[in-house]
Amino acid sequence: MTVPRSALVGSFLRSFAIQGSWNYRTLIGCGFAFAMLPVLRTLYAARPEEYQAAVQRHTAIFNSHPYLSPMAIGAVAVLEATEPPAVVERFKSAVRGSLGTLGDRLIWAGFRPVCLLLALLAVVLGASWAVVVGGFLVLYNVGHIGTRVWALRYGIRHGRRLGEKLRGAPVERLQFVLQSSGVFLIGVLLPLVLAGRPLTGRMTPLWFAAGALLSLLAMRLGGAARMPTVLALTAVVLAGLVLGALS
Amino acid sequence: VNWLALGLLGGVVGLDATSFPQMMLSRPIVSATLTGLLFGRPAAGLLLGALLEVFALLILPFGAARYPESGTSAAAAASAYAATTDLVNNHQALLLAVVFALAWEQIAGASVIFTRRINERLVRGREGSEPLAADQVSQRHLLAIGIDFVRGAWAVLIGSMLGRMLLRITDPMFGLNDEVSARLLALAGAVMLASLLPLFGGLRARWLPLLTGLVCGSLILFLA
Repeated sequence: MTVPRSALVGSFLRSFAIQGSWNYRTLIGCGFAFAMLPVLRTLYAARPEEYQAAVQRHTAIFNSHPYLSPMAIGAVAVLEATEPPAVVERFKSAVRGSLGTLGDRLIWAGFRPVCLLLALLAVVLGASWAVVVGGFLVLYNVGHIGTRVWALRYGIRHGRRLGEKLRGAPVERLQFVLQSSGVFLIGVLLPLVLAGRPLTGRMTPLWFAAGALLSLLAMRLGGAARMPTVLALTAVVLAGLVLGALS
Repeated sequence: VNWLALGLLGGVVGLDATSFPQMMLSRPIVSATLTGLLFGRPAAGLLLGALLEVFALLILPFGAARYPESGTSAAAAASAYAATTDLVNNHQALLLAVVFALAWEQIAGASVIFTRRINERLVRGREGSEPLAADQVSQRHLLAIGIDFVRGAWAVLIGSMLGRMLLRITDPMFGLNDEVSARLLALAGAVMLASLLPLFGGLRARWLPLLTGLVCGSLILFLA
């Protein structure tokens, strides 16, 4: 039995809302079942009891990066049409870790920050709001929707062999390109922001040097630098308010 | 102020972060600009959004991580900033709005955790109850999306009202001058940008692209 194209398109569109009922117990389990409904409804059209059982099976715990979820949807659609439920269950357990990690590394920690750094560079260089926001949304979503379409096709094409194929994917190479682009953009942005762009053109050498030193420290601290920076900024604002109230 | 439009925008921004469709309308740089646009000041929204974006870049939604919600807080702060300050280049108010957004994102983040707990009940029911039937899956899933929309709308509306009130009170009595406020924001922005480096492999592994970027940035600075 093959899965009709219309059912796959329906499931693909529903994948945009796959995280709608995200929760700490089943993660995107219910969302996955919601996305699979058009496919399951078609495959089990003449078998209502099996249909109910299949939907209930798919509400169990599942996780995937949302943009790569169409890959699981495509592969599971093929498996539901050809294999017994136990195989589908095993397959879902096997791929859920890889689909989450792969997307986190390539999209959340790669493609997205690179696009945002480009948008920030445009702001610093004085681009208009329409260019910055429009350009970012177009660039990012071409990659976003392209990834989803590719993921669905990849899942349908490789079906049960998906896990094996993912292990051989050129993730490291892609990650290297994204990371190098991100670091390059940080490098371009740093002197411009330290010089006060786009807020002020009057950063004194002392402020510039202090910023450069703190930036060097932040390069070592990474994410741990966020909370101290937020707290320091808050403390300065509170000091400013006290100063203003006293004067 | 068109509160309805602000609430609708808040709902869309809240939804976009996780539930639907994750097209990055919930990024601070986008949500703050769109909010600024509602008030006829998109450039002011963009500036605030860009500053908040450098703080948000470090927040990564890996697995079941709990994190502050930067999109709705940026919209709330942009609404407060655009509505209370008369000059776009008022950096004191900008600094106050940034600090307000960084505080409000913690509360908005807590509201996300709360709705995720509600979702647990929605999709599994009480302990020992029957699994959801096929028609219930769609209903509950769409209900969860609806709840998230309402949550996002309220996070922006309440944040906007509170932010406005705080900016009105604190802006006139703020003791740091405009130039110092701008420099502080630039310094914090640079620190946040630099702290992204370990995310991309760290200084040792990526020194060459960093150095190339620094040279290009310096050239732009001197030529422009």
